[in-house]
Amino acid sequence: MSIDTRETLRQWIAGVSDKTTPENLADDTPLFRDGILKSIQISDLILYIEELTGRSVDVEQIKPGVFRNIDTIYHNFFAHDHA
Amino acid sequence: MATLSELTTRLCRISQEHFIDPFSRLEWPESLDRDQWFMSPELISLHGTRQFDALDEEQRRNLSFFELINFFSINIHGERMLIEGLAKRLYRKNTEIVSPYLHHFLDEENKHMFYFGRFCNQYAGKVYEEKKFSIEREYADGEEEFLFFARVMLFEELVDVYNRRMAKDQQLVPIVREINWLHHFEEARHLVFGRRIVEELFEAHASGWASEVRDRIRDELSHFLDGTWKEFFNPEVYKDAGLPDAYGLRRDLLADESVEARRKTLSERCARTLYKVGLLTQESRQ
Repeated sequence: MSIDTRETLRQWIAGVSDKTTPENLADDTPLFRDGILKSIQISDLILYIEELTGRSVDVEQIKPGVFRNIDTIYHNFFAHDHA
Repeated sequence: MATLSELTTRLCRISQEHFIDPFSRLEWPESLDRDQWFMSPELISLHGTRQFDALDEEQRRNLSFFELINFFSINIHGERMLIEGLAKRLYRKNTEIVSPYLHHFLDEENKHMFYFGRFCNQYAGKVYEEKKFSIEREYADGEEEFLFFARVMLFEELVDVYNRRMAKDQQLVPIVREINWLHHFEEARHLVFGRRIVEELFEAHASGWASEVRDRIRDELSHFLDGTWKEFFNPEVYKDAGLPDAYGLRRDLLADESVEARRKTLSERCARTLYKVGLLTQESRQ
């Protein structure tokens, strides 16, 4: 299940980015440091996470580093669902 | 053309002469009949699509209420960003000339947030949350300053299109027209100031920017405008209005040709100052 979620995120990120492909995007690839995603694309990513989880994301509670890579996104937004 | 100092003095004088106190000026009905138009139909995010055509009149009016709450929420979040940035720039060495006007700018933006916030809370019981989260990075000389004022200008240009149309739309609820008129009335000055400061900052710094910095700025502003436009397509609005598959609907709307045509028209108009200074060119148009 968690592998599926990571794969879903990987496909989405590669789909909106012009800097990578799913094959080149590892779970720990830095998304912003390497320019794969731009800051402004976080809004779309948050809405996609909301759609996948069915829960609203409280942006005021988000801490730096949450969107660093696929692993950090998974652990912060999906891990509870798969515990 | 007047110098920046002369423009600042003139705008300060107009702000004083046309001082508006929204705390006492606006009359707030205790409640509002929802079966009315709150947002002009042609400004509703679904307008021009088959999804809009499929709604009956009552559904459209109901949707117009939540679209307006979203529009006012977008304004609240945008103006909070603006107020934070303006306050940081008061009485810095390079803002001495404009600081007198920044006081009026801040004062007026604070009052705008008041009436947008009261409307949302009193009639909808909420302000829609902002879904933005920024990642910090390093900037070239003058880049952060230019980006701040250019973002402010783009944001205000975009919302002013909506304000002007709704201020004149006689089918809208009176207090909605009044709020849109008040906002447009003061934003007109902010826009004059914003366009000018963007031009001045570009002239002061652009010659020192390497081509990759210019590309980055162009890219970032283009994404900012695109991101702000997308905020008008809020799944929470569609859920509140009872429309099915809110996230799928957002995706479909953003891929719709008529919506894309509307975005292009608006983007070009909002970015005209950036074309004027040469940051954007015919070749960089999307």
